[in-house]
Amino acid sequence: MQAFDHVSAQHLPTRRDEEWRFTDISPLTQLVYRPAHSQCELRLSDLTPWLLQEAKNRLVFVDGHYAEHLSVIEDSSHLIIGNLQVLATSHATALESQLGRHASCEHNVFTALNTAFLNDGAIIIVPKHTVVAEPIHLLFVATQSEVTNYPRCLLLGETGSQVTLIEDYVSLSQAPYITNSVTEISLNANAHAKHIRIQRDSMQAFHLASCAALLAHASRYQAVSVSLGAQISRYNLDVRLADEAAECAIDGLALIGDRQLADTHTCIDHSKANGVSRQQHKCIVDDSAHAVFNGKIIVHPHAQRTNSSQSSRNLLLSKTAQVDTKPQLEIFADDVKCAHGATVGQLDEEEIFYLQSRGLSAATARDLLTYAFGAEIIDRIPVTSLKQQLEQAVLSRTRRHL
Amino acid sequence: MSAVLHNLVNQPYKHGFVTDIEADVAPKGLNEDIIRLISAKKNEPEWLLSFRLKAYHHWLTMTEPHWQNVHYPKIDFQDISYYSAPKTKKKLASMDEVDPELLRTFEKLGVPMHERAALAGVAVDVIFDSVSVTTTYKQKLAEVGIIFCSISEAVHNHPELVQKYLGTVVPVGDNYFAALNSAVFTDGSFCYIPKGVKCPMDLSTYFRINTEGSGQFERTLIIAEEGASVSYLEGCTAPRFDTNQLHAAVVELIALDDADIKYSTVQNWYAGDENGVGGIYNFVTKRGLAKGKNSRISWTQVETGSAITWKYPSCILRGDNSVGEFYSVAVTNHYQQADTGTKMIHLGKNTRSTIVSKGISAGHSNSSYRGLVRIAPTADGARNYSQCDSMLIGDQCGAHTFPYIQVSNNGATVEHEASTSKIGEDQLFYFAQRGIGAEEAVSMIINGFCKDVFQQLPMEFAVEATKLLSFKLEGSVG
Repeated sequence: MQAFDHVSAQHLPTRRDEEWRFTDISPLTQLVYRPAHSQCELRLSDLTPWLLQEAKNRLVFVDGHYAEHLSVIEDSSHLIIGNLQVLATSHATALESQLGRHASCEHNVFTALNTAFLNDGAIIIVPKHTVVAEPIHLLFVATQSEVTNYPRCLLLGETGSQVTLIEDYVSLSQAPYITNSVTEISLNANAHAKHIRIQRDSMQAFHLASCAALLAHASRYQAVSVSLGAQISRYNLDVRLADEAAECAIDGLALIGDRQLADTHTCIDHSKANGVSRQQHKCIVDDSAHAVFNGKIIVHPHAQRTNSSQSSRNLLLSKTAQVDTKPQLEIFADDVKCAHGATVGQLDEEEIFYLQSRGLSAATARDLLTYAFGAEIIDRIPVTSLKQQLEQAVLSRTRRHL
Repeated sequence: MSAVLHNLVNQPYKHGFVTDIEADVAPKGLNEDIIRLISAKKNEPEWLLSFRLKAYHHWLTMTEPHWQNVHYPKIDFQDISYYSAPKTKKKLASMDEVDPELLRTFEKLGVPMHERAALAGVAVDVIFDSVSVTTTYKQKLAEVGIIFCSISEAVHNHPELVQKYLGTVVPVGDNYFAALNSAVFTDGSFCYIPKGVKCPMDLSTYFRINTEGSGQFERTLIIAEEGASVSYLEGCTAPRFDTNQLHAAVVELIALDDADIKYSTVQNWYAGDENGVGGIYNFVTKRGLAKGKNSRISWTQVETGSAITWKYPSCILRGDNSVGEFYSVAVTNHYQQADTGTKMIHLGKNTRSTIVSKGISAGHSNSSYRGLVRIAPTADGARNYSQCDSMLIGDQCGAHTFPYIQVSNNGATVEHEASTSKIGEDQLFYFAQRGIGAEEAVSMIINGFCKDVFQQLPMEFAVEATKLLSFKLEGSVG
């Protein structure tokens, strides 16, 4: 109910809001998409292109609704995994204290909407000192057109646990729809989570997502997000290093063309001393696409000896492509090391010439360099089959001449 | 913190005193009548009055901006006196006739202008609380055709130039404080460099604020014709007061083909006491238009004073191959706040810009760099390099960086770098090892940190700036 109040208290953001300055979501406001219904006629064979052999546990959500017949839970003995509706009663206390506690509804109308329409979601609780070796695959499939999906995830990493989570948004059609997803991650002391997020929605879709991660003492959060699809996409990632010696590494890649718009807003909040954060965000922008990056790093008073670096690198492939980047530092402690950098440019003519001198055509050289620019981020994904899928996707985008 | 350092930090503001000159002060408040009064007092032509009124009506429709990272109590614009002039007895023919009280003020500030002018070869257009008292070296400049005078004089003697350029770079409705300035500006400097002339000396003005409760609204307009070049200096000190004083100046620079304008500022207005009481609000709009091909506009600023500094000297690079530069050092201590930076708007082909910004925060102060680099679709081959470094001294202060980079042309190359650091224990130890005390070491480290910017300053300003910085910060580390 509180979420409903937050929804009604807020308006849809416009370009007059600083946080939405470069992202015009007015096309979205004209749509009246009802929430998706829960009927599902998919068979496992429909999902073949996206299945990952390494993932022993797979939760599939079709249009935001849990599809039990497509999911596989192999590992329920030392891991609590399942959908919200099933786990709601058995793990009521844990869920009550965590769900909706990290992603704030107050300043984000879309998070409030997701929370208000909360129906089901993926819940993963990794118990104390448990190491889950195989990645967990959360597959969100969109099938219906002109509907809104509200996917939701919650990952709790208890003390000393380790887990790899893959959040994967795919579509079976090229239809327009809205995905409004919220992910919450909470890591206790010494917990370690790798979080891979792939957004390959339909080119007509609107993708609005936020993720909030809370890091306790000496916990580690490594994130890789890749954004390929959607007409307009927006990803808010808030990482709070709430206790000493927490670490995070965040990598992002947006590869867009046509008239796509990909917006990534991250906020890394160093609240306590000895935190380490590293971030690299890359955008490859072709045609008339528009990439936006806003990376904020806050270092609170007393968060001494924070070490933080951030880089935003952008590659413009066409004359009409556009990039708005805003790496931001807000520092209130003196004994810190913080640096950020941003570059915007095109492919280096000298590098192209070098490859040409080795017998590649200019066009092939360009494709190769473009691919290499993106591959640096994809290489950080620790799951081989997923990495290969993405490499193919990036290649097919960049390979016009290879 | 040792006693010596403590004393240094808490050194009272050196230039804090009020000269008792019978001021001709307008009643407090702002309305059409006040604007008409200012205009009438200054004998202004009709077009300027309508310019002011247009700005005023625009201002009425605007709201005070709140996006900036500075905080201050709401300003009551009706509680400010918008005009104050030292009483003029008659037109002054020479320096001897200047009010001796006034001269003593300058004496106290350590800038006896005749001496300074003679020693440094600088023509000083002295602004004393809004009215230009005297202008030196005018003849010498006139010989080469340079017009350097107060803007009110320019309005009378060169109305065609003022009318042609005033408000073209910063339009009357540009922002809240620029609109206010356009409505009520009282005086300022005007400089016109004709075609092909290289200005033989550095031009400089000194701004002071006197008369408690009167805001100062300066207006500066500099025009460099084709192939002309000029270096302009602006330095500020102000008497100490407990009520905050608003300063909303507008500076417009216009560079035509192959022209070169270099604008340097050393700002050391009263920053409030160690508890953050008092101090100047410095809300300034500075913008240069590199209108012609191969033109160049360079801003250099050393901001050490003011309770709040809020300004973004900007360059609009319209001409092909034009160059914009911004070099800044902003130092904040105690409860000072600074939100400063620049805007580089690349419109022409092969335009280049460089931004070097150094922020130093100490005490409870906050300093922000906020910059915009925009590459328009027309700016093929544009190039930008930005570097903004911050240094924090003490754990109660803050340093912030807000760079906006907007690129709509793939032929552009934009680079931005920022870092934050502090003066390391090991650095101080190294100095101590070599027999250099903490204060001196800090001063040297800070001067090294700011070197890139100081190098851009004209000689005597560089000396002043170096002194200012050590004076402001020495002892903050201990």
